[in-house]
Amino acid sequence: MTAPAKAGALVRLLLDRFPDLAAGLWTDEDTVEVTIEGERNVALLQVLRDDPELNFFFLADAAAVDYGPTERFEVVYHLYSDRHPAWLRVRARVNRADPHIPTLTDLWEGAMFHEREMFDMMGIVFDGNRDLRRIYMSPDYRSFPQRKDFLLPDDAADSSAAGVRPLERPETWDLTRLSDELAPGVVAHAEAEAEAKP
Amino acid sequence: MTSEVKIPDPLDLDLDEEARLRRVAGLPAAKTPAGEYAGFESVGLPERPPQTEREREVYTLEEGEMLVNMGPQHPSTHGVMRLVVKVRGEVVTDVDPVLGYLHRGIEKLCEEATYTTVLTYVDPMDYLSTMHNEHAPAIAFEKLFGVTAPPRAEYIRALVVELNRVFSHSLMMGFLALDMGGITPILYGFINRDEIVDMLSAISGQRMLFNFFRVGGVNWDTNDEFLSRLGTWRDHVLKNVEMSERVLTDNEVFRSRTIGMGTLSGRDAIALGVSGPNLRASGVPFDVRKAHPYSIYPELEFEVITQSGGDSNARYLQRIAEINQSIHLIDQIVDKMPHGAVQAQVPGIIRPKPGRAYAAIESPRGLYSVYAISDGGPNPYRFRMRDPSFISLQAIPKLMPGRLIADTMAVMASFDPVMGGVDK
Amino acid sequence: MALKTTPDPQTAAEPSMAEADRVLTGGTPPIVIPDQAGDDPILAEFGMEEHPQGGFHGLLEVIPTRADIVLDLIRANSLWPLLSGLSCCAIEMMSTATSKNDIDRFGMFPFRASPRQADVLIVAGTLTTKMAGPLVRLWEQMPEPKWCVAMGTCTTSGGRFKRSYSVVQGVDRVMPVDVYVPGCPPRPEGLIYGMMKLQELVKQRRGEWSTYVDRGVQRIDWEGDVR
Repeated sequence: MTAPAKAGALVRLLLDRFPDLAAGLWTDEDTVEVTIEGERNVALLQVLRDDPELNFFFLADAAAVDYGPTERFEVVYHLYSDRHPAWLRVRARVNRADPHIPTLTDLWEGAMFHEREMFDMMGIVFDGNRDLRRIYMSPDYRSFPQRKDFLLPDDAADSSAAGVRPLERPETWDLTRLSDELAPGVVAHAEAEAEAKP
Repeated sequence: MTSEVKIPDPLDLDLDEEARLRRVAGLPAAKTPAGEYAGFESVGLPERPPQTEREREVYTLEEGEMLVNMGPQHPSTHGVMRLVVKVRGEVVTDVDPVLGYLHRGIEKLCEEATYTTVLTYVDPMDYLSTMHNEHAPAIAFEKLFGVTAPPRAEYIRALVVELNRVFSHSLMMGFLALDMGGITPILYGFINRDEIVDMLSAISGQRMLFNFFRVGGVNWDTNDEFLSRLGTWRDHVLKNVEMSERVLTDNEVFRSRTIGMGTLSGRDAIALGVSGPNLRASGVPFDVRKAHPYSIYPELEFEVITQSGGDSNARYLQRIAEINQSIHLIDQIVDKMPHGAVQAQVPGIIRPKPGRAYAAIESPRGLYSVYAISDGGPNPYRFRMRDPSFISLQAIPKLMPGRLIADTMAVMASFDPVMGGVDK
Repeated sequence: MALKTTPDPQTAAEPSMAEADRVLTGGTPPIVIPDQAGDDPILAEFGMEEHPQGGFHGLLEVIPTRADIVLDLIRANSLWPLLSGLSCCAIEMMSTATSKNDIDRFGMFPFRASPRQADVLIVAGTLTTKMAGPLVRLWEQMPEPKWCVAMGTCTTSGGRFKRSYSVVQGVDRVMPVDVYVPGCPPRPEGLIYGMMKLQELVKQRRGEWSTYVDRGVQRIDWEGDVR
């Protein structure tokens, strides 16, 4: 099965249910990716879970990504469905200055540890989560280690003279490095296929 | 003028009985009234206000309840895990897992390491399934870099991964018995494990943290020592497994302590994110090797095994069935193994194009996945690992209320968590 | 004090000490206690005399020694490690204790679960800043004399987690260490070798144990920067 065909049926179905997702649609060899605003996550994922044709019943992963101090956070959900031979990735954008996003623990109880981990490592606040406390670091820890402005010390940091310096990171946060544009060819292929088979 | 100094005497008989016992036990003098927040001092921690609703709920005691701290140093074999258990007499009413005693910041370190070094950093994560830890990042990086491993490398990968699954499951059988007080199965489990680890160290050059996978292949081809050890092991492995199974499966004590213990329905298991053998023991046929086939698994013949019970015993039986399944898979892999190279041509420092990749594999504890983002540099911009035992731990507070405190570790052992993976 | 026995008639007929040694020890070389004066009249009274190779030998009715030496010998040959695994090395530590590698052969008893019953702390695995407090508490709960073995590169120096934000860079920053066993993780043979080195150490230092306070800074301020 070629890559676009694997994801094609799912892309068609998603565009049928949510036409506005076309703007953020991107496909990989075995992944379909949609991008949404953070506030929409519960509404979208509830439909994805409960719609019998979509049936994404298993929350495989929930991860937070930091796109740099001048940009945004993203909470990335990976979902599994037994109806479609592709993973579904939902990227929910979160404002970095005021990182709030609704919790998913009402949909999947198992999102609790994921959200506690994201809160601990990135400092993203999940509104409605009733157990949002640090899970790895001590309760009195102040920083959020996986943010990109949290820098690890170099090896010489143990000497009294050494300071902490950034490692292997560019001076500026030039986001052109992260090619975020869509893969228009793949989407066009899926759309063409959808037209061919009405 | 004399001043009278009163030295507190732990056996002061003037006090009433409860106050005396509280003093001997090192507890605060006054008892917390029922329904009020008891605080962290009751489990020997510095006092601080509760941070969340749930924390306040756990640390608030009703009449007749008390808090018992288990861990992080605990004689059970799951490493530095800490459970704050609320009990009424011998019966557990609530459990609060406290994690992070082994948090080493592996994700952050991986984000500052080159793609080849990442495969070294992930080794000590889930230290009983080291080969699986390397498998998922290897697949993800190959997707990012657009390289595929040669067929022989894929077969060797599947072979070592299935061998790793066998020893991980046989250790789980031993640990489960050990947490119930049985010593023998762990000795059998380690005999099996040492044989396989010696075999894998013959092919990878390192014991335990193998560092065997590379982007675009594996480090070494098979050699004579590996193959001869594999043949010797294959001749008697079924006997070994049967030997430890015979000690446990029909053992009356073992059965009475596992059947009906920690029963998890399939619906709850999915909601909690439980995966792998623990999910299949609840009757849900979700196996990543079938659901999203990777490596050479589409070419192999196997069925997804499930159990119907959902209790500790079903999880144990599921492990035994999977050991036999893995041995069956190993036979097929050895039969079909092609000749050829084991490493694709890749540069010394890998710089993939900007992009994102997600790779999931079936580890002995469940769905282990990696989400990697490249920014075109020599190291991943974001490297995220989803560890199955971390998520499966959430089932413990759901299962334990109403059970005896002695069963806490026994039920937890049936989920087979590895703290290296839980805490990353 | 041992009693002087009446000589056996068979050996009395041929009172050669070399023959008596051969009979008693089954042909192996005689036990030599080096520190003792050979011609001690009191010991000669107990049937012991100077050995041609030096030292003192006899019918072993009495072993004159200091209590410290005997206690250290006993301690060295029955080290009781604490069952305290932190991370990956714990699996190799368990493998060392199970049937294939069987550390029992060398007088190291299988692991004790309570620090009150243990005298060796094998720090097996990465020590994180969150775990440092509990581990030192364990160390403080162990009775003297006690020894610490740092197993694996993480505990000796930080190892592969040298730059991590949550790992103590070497366990000797928080407690005294007697033997360092490198390796990631060390093979079981490596741990056995390290424990045998510890036995030598215990025997060498006989009678000269420093007290708890003299073994360096025990507790530093970990709530802050343990790195």
